[in-house]
Amino acid sequence: MTGPVLAHEMGLSRRLLPAPAIPRPGLLVGGMVGLMAVAVLGLVGAGIVQEHAAPAQRLLAPGTIGHPLGTDQLGRDVLARTLAGFRWSLAVVLPATLIAGLAGTGIGLAAAASLGWTRVILERATETAAGFPFLVLAAPVIAIVGRGYWPLLIVLAILASAPFALAVFDATWGGRGRMPVFQALYAVPAALPVVGAFIVADLVVTEACLSFLGVGAPEVAPSWGNMLADARQNVTTAPWILYAPAAALVLTVLSANWFGEGLGQLWRVKAR
Amino acid sequence: MSTAVAEVLRLQELRVQFPDASGRSVVALDGISLAVERGEAVGIVGEPGSGKTLVALSVLGMVPPPGQVSGSIRLLGHELVGMVEPEWWRVRGRDVAMVFPDARRSLNPIRTVGSQIAEAVDRHYEGYPYAMTRRWVRERTLEALAWAGVSRPRQRFGHYPHQLTGDLRQRVMLALAGANRPPLFIADEPTVGISDPVQAQVMLHLLRRVLGAAALILTTRDPGVAAAVCQRVIVIHAGRIVETGPTDRVMTSPRHPYTAELLELTPRTGATDVGRARPGCAFASRCPNAMEQCRRLRPPLELLEDRPVACWNPWGS
Amino acid sequence: MSVATLLFILVRLSASPAALLAGAGASHAEVRSAHVAYGLDGPILQQYVTFVTRALRLDFGQSPAHQAAALEVVRLRLPATLMLTAAALAATALVGVSLGVWLGLRADRPEHGWAFRLLLTGQSLPALIVGLVLVQVVGLTSAMGASAPLSFTLSALTLTWWLTPRAARLTAAPVAGAVRQTWVLTAKAMGATSRDVLWGHVLPNSLLAALALVGVQVAFLLSAAVVVEWLFGWPGVGNLLAVSMQARDFPVVEAAIFAIAFLVFATYAMVDLVLAAVDPRLRRRATPP
Repeated sequence: MTGPVLAHEMGLSRRLLPAPAIPRPGLLVGGMVGLMAVAVLGLVGAGIVQEHAAPAQRLLAPGTIGHPLGTDQLGRDVLARTLAGFRWSLAVVLPATLIAGLAGTGIGLAAAASLGWTRVILERATETAAGFPFLVLAAPVIAIVGRGYWPLLIVLAILASAPFALAVFDATWGGRGRMPVFQALYAVPAALPVVGAFIVADLVVTEACLSFLGVGAPEVAPSWGNMLADARQNVTTAPWILYAPAAALVLTVLSANWFGEGLGQLWRVKAR
Repeated sequence: MSTAVAEVLRLQELRVQFPDASGRSVVALDGISLAVERGEAVGIVGEPGSGKTLVALSVLGMVPPPGQVSGSIRLLGHELVGMVEPEWWRVRGRDVAMVFPDARRSLNPIRTVGSQIAEAVDRHYEGYPYAMTRRWVRERTLEALAWAGVSRPRQRFGHYPHQLTGDLRQRVMLALAGANRPPLFIADEPTVGISDPVQAQVMLHLLRRVLGAAALILTTRDPGVAAAVCQRVIVIHAGRIVETGPTDRVMTSPRHPYTAELLELTPRTGATDVGRARPGCAFASRCPNAMEQCRRLRPPLELLEDRPVACWNPWGS
Repeated sequence: MSVATLLFILVRLSASPAALLAGAGASHAEVRSAHVAYGLDGPILQQYVTFVTRALRLDFGQSPAHQAAALEVVRLRLPATLMLTAAALAATALVGVSLGVWLGLRADRPEHGWAFRLLLTGQSLPALIVGLVLVQVVGLTSAMGASAPLSFTLSALTLTWWLTPRAARLTAAPVAGAVRQTWVLTAKAMGATSRDVLWGHVLPNSLLAALALVGVQVAFLLSAAVVVEWLFGWPGVGNLLAVSMQARDFPVVEAAIFAIAFLVFATYAMVDLVLAAVDPRLRRRATPP
């Protein structure tokens, strides 16, 4: 149970210990493959949507010619809509993440650079903000403002700044005091993609949940959340509406998480 | 024969090897034989990496994997090599106990000192099951604390490790080791990690207290430490015994060049690579007395005048 | 307090262009009513002061939909959510924590790798998806059509499924760390059995840290509960929030957010208290001899 560590404690020559395990790149590779699939599907999706723009018969079961995954209650092709969903969701989440990353980095650096009590307060505030789930804060704002692409984008970007700020703060502040510049210069760019990956995963889920609840994407937008809401409504009449968007959502989230975790392990970045 | 009763530990050709990834083995201990009797304090002296810690670990059955132990270890007549883990649970702490030096981390910080000693008492209770009451365990624990020289044991029992001074913690570690009155104590590098020389003296003093009917094996890199506590000393290098004998005589007139180097009678000229298996004497590359023969043939441990030495060209000859 | 401010800032930021964006879905009347409900038609400082004073008095206004004080409406739904959360936490403690301990003890072995990946995958399944799959499996036709025990069970199941991988991973790390401690060596050298080590030294030392880490997850648990409660029709605060958002019942929305935020901070505070109480190093230090 305590093999290699015991020897170390006892001061044994390191050469007698088994060689350290080779880091396994499985997570990272898997994540990257998944993300590439997502990117491809998103790009391809544009093409297919154009082909099947014409509305078809309602509630066709999967396997029908021309509609491999069936159609929903308004006659829209499920496959086409799901693929369009890649573009829609990523069009919201990616810019939001980028903006949040920039804003968060700025805030984090500012917090780390400030003096004494200001810094402590800022750290606390960032910690608290980062620890709050996006959904609970985003939902009412959008409820007031109205559904749409821009409200979603802006609100998510603002909320996602907090985790970025916290990560950047941690990267420059290393828990015990300000780190030397060259160390921070390495730590910050290392932390950003890792945190970014997790944020992307989080935001994709949040966007889907918001749309599902009716406070996210506009009704006609091909957001997976909307499709899931449709699936909910037609659970007995058209159960197939669930599968494609659910699979797409899970694929995206999984890939982003795997990528973030894999990269984090490789670069030894820890998310708080 | 009285030796059968007086002898506590006998190691016979103890070998410990670590197979590496390619299948070859690094031999860390290469045929160690020694015996310890009741009331004896034996010091095993050698540089870091010489294998002395492994001797201690072998006797406790805590050689880290993938280490393989072969040879014979007889503790109170019982053969220990070949035992499986659950069998070791009865031996550790009862027949042999390790005395840990005061490292702040050697005691669990969220448990009281008393409860940790009681755990050891509890584990090795051998008597009528219903006679082991909490009170009985507590009494034994308090006894152990008093034996180690802990002042006000009743109060200390309920204290946490961070509430004790370094000196007290050392005594607690000793009390822990001695809680079940094992016949054999092992102190592995007891003064390493104690930066205060006064506390180091306290530690050595405590170890002397250990003796009575018990036996002590003390491993160290500092011959002075061995001299302070042990009657007999064994010098070990690259997993082999190179010299052994009464402490005062080995210290005043060492026979093996390595012993001389340890005693700082000759300058150090580097470290020995344990990994490579080499014919001949392992010390040859550093030895001021090295001859052609030393590199080819391994010197056996033989009586030279009054004590066993393993050298073709001993010091002072 | 900080959440109230944050919320206010968010709302304020979006309120001005609200009229422009209102075209996306809300009617002009609805936006107007939102402005009035939030007192958004006065100078900004006055608005903030009003908001804060009302919040401090826990006055969130009247709910048009329920014809009652908003906070009261929320308060009535609170026990339902607490019950659900407690059930999910209990189930997770049983399954997730045990899994985490098992995993942590095997940190050096090959099993750890794929188990870890499996957990990460499980964690990536959003509660929404799990819930919807359950809905399909069970064949729930309408949200309100489910009976109370079924709704509760499915909600609790979904939340547990969602929380368990996280809890397992968060427990595994402290456990793996505790096993490596020097005092474990000491105990082992004194003859402690594997069981002694586990129950006497590893678990007591690691479960505290695990508790703290899991406590942080409660915020996200409540967030997931919003979706789950709405999905299965469990009448808790989450459900109320979702429904009220769709109905534009802003006082209730405000009150519900406040309640959730309160629960989150209460959890953090409780975790801190428990940690301080249990770890002797954090207690009042006894005078050294």
